Amino acid sequence: MTIPEDLKTRLKIAKSKIKKQVLLENEKKGSFIGSAFKLGTELVAAVAVGTIIGFILDSWFDTKPWLIIIFFFLGTVAGILNVIRTANRMQKED
Amino acid sequence: MASNPMQQFSVHKIGPEIKIAGIDLSFTNASLFMVISASIILLFLFFGTKEKKIVPDKIQLISEMFYTFVAKMISDTAGSKAKPYFPFIFSLFMFVLFCNMVGMLPYAFTVTSHIIVTLIMALFIFVAVTIIGFAKHGFKYLSIFIPSGVPTVLLPLITVIEIISYLSRPVSLSVRLFANMMAGHTMLKVFGGFVISLGLLGGWLPLGFSIALTGLEILVAFLQAYVFAILTCIYLNDALNLHH
Repeated sequence: MTIPEDLKTRLKIAKSKIKKQVLLENEKKGSFIGSAFKLGTELVAAVAVGTIIGFILDSWFDTKPWLIIIFFFLGTVAGILNVIRTANRMQKED
Repeated sequence: MASNPMQQFSVHKIGPEIKIAGIDLSFTNASLFMVISASIILLFLFFGTKEKKIVPDKIQLISEMFYTFVAKMISDTAGSKAKPYFPFIFSLFMFVLFCNMVGMLPYAFTVTSHIIVTLIMALFIFVAVTIIGFAKHGFKYLSIFIPSGVPTVLLPLITVIEIISYLSRPVSLSVRLFANMMAGHTMLKVFGGFVISLGLLGGWLPLGFSIALTGLEILVAFLQAYVFAILTCIYLNDALNLHH
C-alpha cells in the first residue's frame, strides 16, 4: 500500500506551501502598519511647516494675518501631495 | 509612586553639574540611557562578529540578520549608489531600535520619547541629504522643486508647495518617532495606574490590556526604527538619483 505514504508527502508539501504564504502575508501586514503610521504625520507635518513659514514671513513683512492664511493652505496642499506620493510609493512596492 | 503618567519622561541630572561656556552639559538620565544603548549595540556586535563561524551561533546569526536586513533595505529603496552610506544608516537603525527596546524595560528611560533627540537626528539627516544632493548634482539639485510637465502659470505656486513639502521632512520624521514612543509609554503607564487603583477585584482587565500593549509597544519600537531608517533611505535616494 503506497497510497497513504504518497498522500502523506503530498499533504506535507501542501501544508508547507500554505505556511509560506501565511508568512509572506504576515510580512506584508507588518509593512502596512508601518506605512499607516507614516501617512498621518506626513500630512500634519507639512501643514505645521507651512503655517510656521507663514507666521515667520508675516512678522518679517508686517502683513498679519494674510501670509499665515495663505501658507496654511499651501501647507495643506503640500501635505496632501506628500500623502499621495507616499501612497504611490507603497503601491509601487507591492 | 508614579501616579503621574508623564513623570517617566522627566530628565534629571546624575552626578555633578558641568557647564562649558554657559551651556549645561551635565550628565543626565537621558545621556545615561543613550550610553547604555550604544554600549549594548557595541557589545552585541562585538560578540556577534568575534568568531566568524560557518555555522553561526545565535548571537552571530542575529547580528548577521541585522546586517542583511539593513543592506537589503538600502539596496531596495536607494539602489546601489547608496552603498557608501550603509554604515550611517546601519548605526542609525541600530541606535533607534536599541533606544526604543531599552525603553521597554521596566524603570528604563526612553530616549526617543523626547522630541529634541529625534529632531536632532532628523535635522542631521535632512542637512546631510541636502549637502549630498548639492555635492552630487550642483545647482541641478534645485530641480527637485520643479516637477516636470507643469504649466508655467502654476510654476511659482507648485515650487512653493514643493519647498514646504521638502521642509516638512525632518518634522514628520522626528514627530512620528517621538509621538509614537511617548504615546505608547504614557498609555502603558496609565493602564498600570488603573491596575493599582482598581485593586484585586477590577485590576485584572487593565492588567491584561497592559500585557497586550507591551507586545504592541515592542512591535511599534521595531517598526518605528524601521520607518526611520527606510525614510532616510528614501530621502537619500531622492538626493542620489535625481529624477521626478
